[in-house]
Amino acid sequence: MEKQSKPNTPEQTPVIELRHVDKHYGQLHVLKDINLSVKKGEVVVIIGPSGSGKSTLCRTINRMETINSGEILIDGTAIPQEGKELARLRAQVGMVFQSFNLFAHKTILDNVTLGPTDVLHVPKKEAREEAIKLLKRVGVDTQAAKLPAQLSGGQQQRVAIARSLAMHPKAILFDEPTSALDPEMIGEVLDVMTELAKEGMTMVVVTHEMNFARRVADRVIFMDGGAIIEENTPEEFFTHPNTQRAQDFLNSIKNH
Amino acid sequence: MSNAHVSVRDALYEAPGPKTRRRTAIGTGIALAAIAFLAVGVVRQFYITGQLDSKYWSIFTKSTTWKFLGQGIAGTLEVALTAGVITFGLGFLLMLGRISDSKVVRGIATALVEFTRGVPTLLFLYFFFLVVPQFGLTLPSFWKITLPVAISACGVVAEVFRSGVKAVPKGQREAALSIGMSKSHVFLKVVFPQAIRYVIPALLSELVIVVKDTTFAYVVTFPDLMQNAKVLISNYDALLSVYLVVAVIYILINYLLNRASDFAARRRNRTLMAAQQNGNKGV
Repeated sequence: MEKQSKPNTPEQTPVIELRHVDKHYGQLHVLKDINLSVKKGEVVVIIGPSGSGKSTLCRTINRMETINSGEILIDGTAIPQEGKELARLRAQVGMVFQSFNLFAHKTILDNVTLGPTDVLHVPKKEAREEAIKLLKRVGVDTQAAKLPAQLSGGQQQRVAIARSLAMHPKAILFDEPTSALDPEMIGEVLDVMTELAKEGMTMVVVTHEMNFARRVADRVIFMDGGAIIEENTPEEFFTHPNTQRAQDFLNSIKNH
Repeated sequence: MSNAHVSVRDALYEAPGPKTRRRTAIGTGIALAAIAFLAVGVVRQFYITGQLDSKYWSIFTKSTTWKFLGQGIAGTLEVALTAGVITFGLGFLLMLGRISDSKVVRGIATALVEFTRGVPTLLFLYFFFLVVPQFGLTLPSFWKITLPVAISACGVVAEVFRSGVKAVPKGQREAALSIGMSKSHVFLKVVFPQAIRYVIPALLSELVIVVKDTTFAYVVTFPDLMQNAKVLISNYDALLSVYLVVAVIYILINYLLNRASDFAARRRNRTLMAAQQNGNKGV
């Protein structure tokens, strides 16, 4: 519950900023005039029914999905459209996927060191040392020599988080990080994420884990039909949301 | 990983019941009887026509015969391996063309793939054997056989590579992009190494075809196994015995290649397939 108060000066550049972002898939309007700003150290949790565009929104932030109009800025810089500039920017924003996406042909250790050595040109030895530290931090250092397929889903996802951290990102995007996990493994991943939030990592988290949202989020974004319907503190949102649609959504998930 | 030892047959069909087992046993009996009957018939015919005479077979007791055949095998392997390396290189380049962002490059690569796949090896060989010399370029006979064999296989290899690349889950590429890797590094360090693992069996099958295509070497009188066999035949007037022995040698070479392919497939199953079962499917 008690999080250290985050630096909140209004003149500070947001780490992530979306201005009037629109996206269409043909006829389908999947993102409607999205405006969102995430400050340094802030944890923003995006929730909403499936098909509401929350995953798509998350994926536009490092341009895994392109947008049709509007602007996305990382630390005040607009995301480049392609090439080296785009790659450089992506290196600053970590991403954790629903299906882990660990490199299937590389060992756990190599999964974590690939980014630093290939992109940041960190010497191999140094990268390995840091990777082992990170793996220790997420509790899978004993598995360093194994292949991803030999790990449980929960372990794989924690490695994926370590892989992101190895790039020293300004923010990490979590795209439904626990949705593909067996129930008994969800906790271990959420624990690592909670730890990261406490340490001041800037995070955007798309999730169905309401308890996590309630405990860890600084702000909850509720999306439906491609638009942000409500933006609120977790306490407010979960006890008395401002909008009927949010209320309906909360009721629908409480009823089982 | 538990089903690493389950055969394709076990995975596709349900276990046979008592009736099916009986029917299978009867079928097996009939088939074996038919094969035995045929074999006896063939050997008998050989005997009647005198093909089993020792004069046709005694040449295989001489070490010079085997040395000569050994030189032929060396020639065949030399051509096959060189052609294999070249065709994998050309196939890789064509595959890159096929998946290029540029429409023009894609079009050219597609045309080349269709061309090399569609034209028979012998036509390519005639090109290097008869047409190229007219432009004043006379290649050694080794290249006159190696290049056409390589070119005629490269289109298929390109398509095999491409199917492997397409089989790599999209999430692998996304994860690599998300840590800031450049497009080319994503391909070379993440996508292609995995694609190769998917298609090793298909690539080795293509290598078998390359080995078989090297028998065109006799056209350009390069001393491969087939060419040396022909020399033996004309020297000793022993057609059937030599061809039978040579066929067995080709079968052995290709059998070894197929075993290598099975081995590679099993290794891949242990890693990548298991990865997919564990939910690493990359939506």
